[in-house]
Amino acid sequence: MDLLSFVNFYLIPGIVLGAIYALGAIGITLVFGVLRFAHLAHGDMATLGAFLALALVTGLGLNPWVALPFAMAATAVIAVTLHWLFYEHLRRRSAILTVIASLGVALMLRAVVQVIWGADSQSYVGGITRPESYFGIRIKDRELWTLGATVALVIGLQLFLTFTRWGKAMRAMSDNPDLARLSGIDTRLTTALTWTIIGLLCAAAGFFLGINTELKPLMGWYMLLPMFAAAILGGVGRIEGAILGGMVIGIAEECSVRFLPAEYKSALAFVILLIMLAVRPTGLLRGKVL
Amino acid sequence: MSHTQTGGPILSVAGVSGGYGGADILHGIDMTVGPHEIVGIVGPNGAGKSTALKAIFGLVQVRGGAIRFENRDITGWAPNRIVRCGIGYVPQVDNVFREMTVAENLEMGAFLRRHGLDEALERVYTLFPDLVEKRRKAAGSLSGGQRQMVAFGRALMLDPQLLLLDEPTAGLSPRYREQIFQIVRDVRAAGVAVLLVEQHAKQALAFCDRAYVLASGRNRAEGTGPGLVADREIAQMFLGG
Repeated sequence: MDLLSFVNFYLIPGIVLGAIYALGAIGITLVFGVLRFAHLAHGDMATLGAFLALALVTGLGLNPWVALPFAMAATAVIAVTLHWLFYEHLRRRSAILTVIASLGVALMLRAVVQVIWGADSQSYVGGITRPESYFGIRIKDRELWTLGATVALVIGLQLFLTFTRWGKAMRAMSDNPDLARLSGIDTRLTTALTWTIIGLLCAAAGFFLGINTELKPLMGWYMLLPMFAAAILGGVGRIEGAILGGMVIGIAEECSVRFLPAEYKSALAFVILLIMLAVRPTGLLRGKVL
Repeated sequence: MSHTQTGGPILSVAGVSGGYGGADILHGIDMTVGPHEIVGIVGPNGAGKSTALKAIFGLVQVRGGAIRFENRDITGWAPNRIVRCGIGYVPQVDNVFREMTVAENLEMGAFLRRHGLDEALERVYTLFPDLVEKRRKAAGSLSGGQRQMVAFGRALMLDPQLLLLDEPTAGLSPRYREQIFQIVRDVRAAGVAVLLVEQHAKQALAFCDRAYVLASGRNRAEGTGPGLVADREIAQMFLGG
């Protein structure tokens, strides 16, 4: 296999998949860093976001990329609502209760998607898209858009966390929640803001997976393990780690198809996760808070 | 320092009892802090020293008595309300945002402040010039003494009239301890009264204007530092001989 076909058939799909995992892993790392629990509904929230975009595409005839921001906003509202309904009152209890509650939320969200949109595979646009060729490198428009949008979202998030008052409040709450409270930071608002961002990122991840493959009610659930693996691989609490972890897992999964039967693709994330936890449990970039 | 010269105490704690959960740790403590005064709270382990500070700052449930600050009854107020009315609090441990820069730490101290952030930063940097060159460094990477400066600075960003310090020298070497005491003097010189809990009782008494000796959640003695050190009974019972 020459370099060009490696790039075209393994590396580019791997990077696209990695970008999707990275967006999910950033969300997982945010929940863990700021709210201190493992959010098991993350994948199904991504599914919901993807299907909300589908509703706009089929219902209003919008271009999928135009539907995306609206689906992201709607998912953000849903994420904040879910927090108030199911997680907020568990705040002072052991974190494992919130984790289990999030598993319940995951099952609920999946059921809602199945009830509304059915169990069959769907897609945003019909037909086959042919990749464009740039100097022999073949990449589809939607893949370019996915990568571009991911980069924009990540840069936007980093700027927000670094330079804005509320972004810093999120980091402060992640760093030292008690001191954040003592400093007069409104932790309830900060929590709501965190869920807003998580909802936005979830919907984007689900949408990108949907537009690059197809929409299935279980798509997000299957993405949960690689997303967690990516977050842990990169070092929990680190956004740049989540990106790195997402890329490693995405590229490894796509490349594995060359050596392993395709059914084992998703097992690979699990293997990487196990090795990482055994060898360097803090992740590639040492885990921390945000 | 006499209160009459300066128009009465800014903080008065009268008969305060309370604690965590169901059990009371404080059983009716009294104390006052006058403007520009450094007041110490000393006593054996488990005397309720830190709990007393936390009760003032609204971190512990107060079940009896009254806490007045600047002629307002702040008993039972939440910490974020107390912070607004002019009391700063520096916890004993975990008192900086470790992963955030020094400047960001200070900024978080001024989170409630809508205006005058730059002036507040300027004041803190004037008080702690060492922090200026470290302002882009993560607070967790600083030395123990500098980290305490960040913690004090964060609590000073809202221009409090009173700073509560919970064992500011805990875990620091004697050299750093003296540095921290100097910082507390500087804070007072900037016009802020200080109420501090101190484990190293003798050093604290030599340094504070006045001190309270607590034991088992009750006042056992009060007076000027030298006076308390000279009291043989107090010294033997509570100050480690």
